[in-house]
Amino acid sequence: MNAIEVKNLKKSFGDFQAVQDATFSANAGEVLSLLGPNGAGKSTTISMLSGLLTPTGGDASIMGHSVTKEPELAKASLGVVPQDIALYPDLSARENLVFWGKMYGLRGAALKSRVDEVLEIIGLTDRQKDHVGKFSGGMKRRVNIGAALLHKPDVIIMDEPTVGIDPQSRRHILDNVKELNRQGMTVLYTTHYMEEAAELSNHIAIMDKGRVIAYGSHDELIKMVGQETRIDVTLNAEAEKILDAWRATEGVARIDSLDGKITALVDDSNRVLPRLFDAASKHGVRITSVDIQEPNLETVFLHLTGRALRD
Amino acid sequence: MKILAIAIKDLTRSFRSAFAIGMMVVAPLMLTGLIYFAFGSMSSGDVSMTAIKVGVVNADKLPDNSVLNVPIGDNIRSMFFDESVKSWIEASDYADEASVRAAVDKQEIGVAVIIPQNFTERYLSGKKDVQVLIVSDPTLSIGPAVVEDMVTMMVDGVAGGGIAIETIMERLQANGIQPNPTQIPSWIERYTNWYADFQRNLFHHPDKAVLVLVAPAADETKTANPLAQMMGLTMVGQMIFFAFFTGSNSMMSILREDEEGTLARLFTTPTNRTNILIGKFLAVFFTVFLQGMVLMAAGRFAFGIQWGQPASVALAFAAQMIAAVGLGVLLISFVKNTKQGGPVLGGGLTILGMLGGLFTANIPGGMPEAFNVIGNFIPQGWVLKGWRMALDGSAAGDLLIPFFITITMGIVMFAIGAMMFRKRYA
Repeated sequence: MNAIEVKNLKKSFGDFQAVQDATFSANAGEVLSLLGPNGAGKSTTISMLSGLLTPTGGDASIMGHSVTKEPELAKASLGVVPQDIALYPDLSARENLVFWGKMYGLRGAALKSRVDEVLEIIGLTDRQKDHVGKFSGGMKRRVNIGAALLHKPDVIIMDEPTVGIDPQSRRHILDNVKELNRQGMTVLYTTHYMEEAAELSNHIAIMDKGRVIAYGSHDELIKMVGQETRIDVTLNAEAEKILDAWRATEGVARIDSLDGKITALVDDSNRVLPRLFDAASKHGVRITSVDIQEPNLETVFLHLTGRALRD
Repeated sequence: MKILAIAIKDLTRSFRSAFAIGMMVVAPLMLTGLIYFAFGSMSSGDVSMTAIKVGVVNADKLPDNSVLNVPIGDNIRSMFFDESVKSWIEASDYADEASVRAAVDKQEIGVAVIIPQNFTERYLSGKKDVQVLIVSDPTLSIGPAVVEDMVTMMVDGVAGGGIAIETIMERLQANGIQPNPTQIPSWIERYTNWYADFQRNLFHHPDKAVLVLVAPAADETKTANPLAQMMGLTMVGQMIFFAFFTGSNSMMSILREDEEGTLARLFTTPTNRTNILIGKFLAVFFTVFLQGMVLMAAGRFAFGIQWGQPASVALAFAAQMIAAVGLGVLLISFVKNTKQGGPVLGGGLTILGMLGGLFTANIPGGMPEAFNVIGNFIPQGWVLKGWRMALDGSAAGDLLIPFFITITMGIVMFAIGAMMFRKRYA
């Protein structure tokens, strides 16, 4: 049984199709990342999985429980870490955790001991009595995660948990995700940082414009672009002067221009790069910078959409 | 259990908010307290006044062959030494004008009453150049005015006596009876005694006075202490206004949670959305209940307010809670966010409070009839009616009509608001 099963999930707001026929799954005990730029439909997808939004079509299940037919059971198996801090600033870290624990049905001694454990996991035992409103952004993020772990869920959904935090807290969160996964928790992790997706995930679903455009393991996705290398070039002239000539150059698989920067996917940068310089000289264009990147998820996204992931 | 946990969490947050506590308890008590201090202390149920210190110089003598037995000056002096005024006038005799003026200058006394040597003789002969001199401390206002009134009344009484004697003489002569001059002193004495007794009774023995004001209260304490009743109405007006404010402000917690993201997070937990809403409504009830209890206790102990018979108070209080929560739920169900909530609470509830008569509850004689008619369409107006009856000592049975009208309004408002919230969130 898949821990997460998403089949032809749809969500529209009026005429706008936020999610279109999304299909993917995650085995129990693995980390699945939803990777995509802002507005790709990641948050809408997890809002449907966590019961916040009702799907317009299709269905999804958490540990075999349909989110549309058995929402309470699906939610009981799920811990959700929202993108923004969703805590009570005028309650202490401990009071927040106790409250959220109660919302997941924990009581009495079990609640108390689990809150102690979670405080230990998030490294805030010594600050447990302080109001969350007084915490730094990173500490708030940790409590935000802790609140989703109290009932030891089978599946945890983390919606861009590292947005806008310092590197130290980010590292702490990524390590937490790995540790939770090591303990057997299935993690659905949304991000627009390909490094995070690459580091954490067993499987990655790449989303763009409401659709899942690619799904597979990191290696499987990289293979989609073969051995293509990404080359970013900036010029001292308008890109249009050279673009057609470069497109016709042998070894260039794809070439796009955005905001004065030209991005090319090539099969072998050592062979192709001199040809690009030659063509530029013939057209009187001077190359001012070159950046070569080995195939990665960014390359995959570019290959599939023609746009960079962070555009 | 989850419902209770949500309610307790909301209560904890409310009672940790300085603004909420200020608007729940501090503001109504402070406003009532200001009025209380403006009208004087009543904690013991008495209206006490600092005694007026009066110095009297009585140089008046009875002229030879006077028809009077005692000089008028003696009557004026005796007013200030009378047993009946001892609680509020401290009188002392002075030998002459210089010594009594010096006492005023040193603020040993507040008012000096100087009766000249030949006052009786000149007054009875109709000469208007004679007068009782009143010298007062310029920093005082009420004391000198009271003393002046007392002297004027006594002198007017004497003048009235003169007119009475002249009238008797004229009537006797008109009927062919020659009056006996030896009887005149006894007539004057009888008139003087009657007049002095009348004045004393008028102000100190309400049972014998010409006009007796009787408040329509069943409770004897309130009859004896009308200011306490006024404070009761003031406190009720404040309590109702701030109960409605608290009801709406507490209900705003749902908007705050929506903005904080915690409401969405609550919806991701295995908690029924209806239960989440019920938990939040319960918190509003608890908050309004606790606020009311604190204000009633504070009103009783700080301002000596007699709230009425327990059953009547319970009905008025229950109606207030239901109406405050109902209106709160309804109002906030129309509000999109906390920014909108501020003006709605501040403006809307103030206007409704004014129309409901909350700020004019203690005006003697009440407001124009139009206000009473408008009040019939406003929940605050009916809550006030219930409290008025409770304060007047009415039995619980008498409060049933305002009680049922108020809770009907409250339940209808609550139902509409809850339906809108369900539509929006559940």
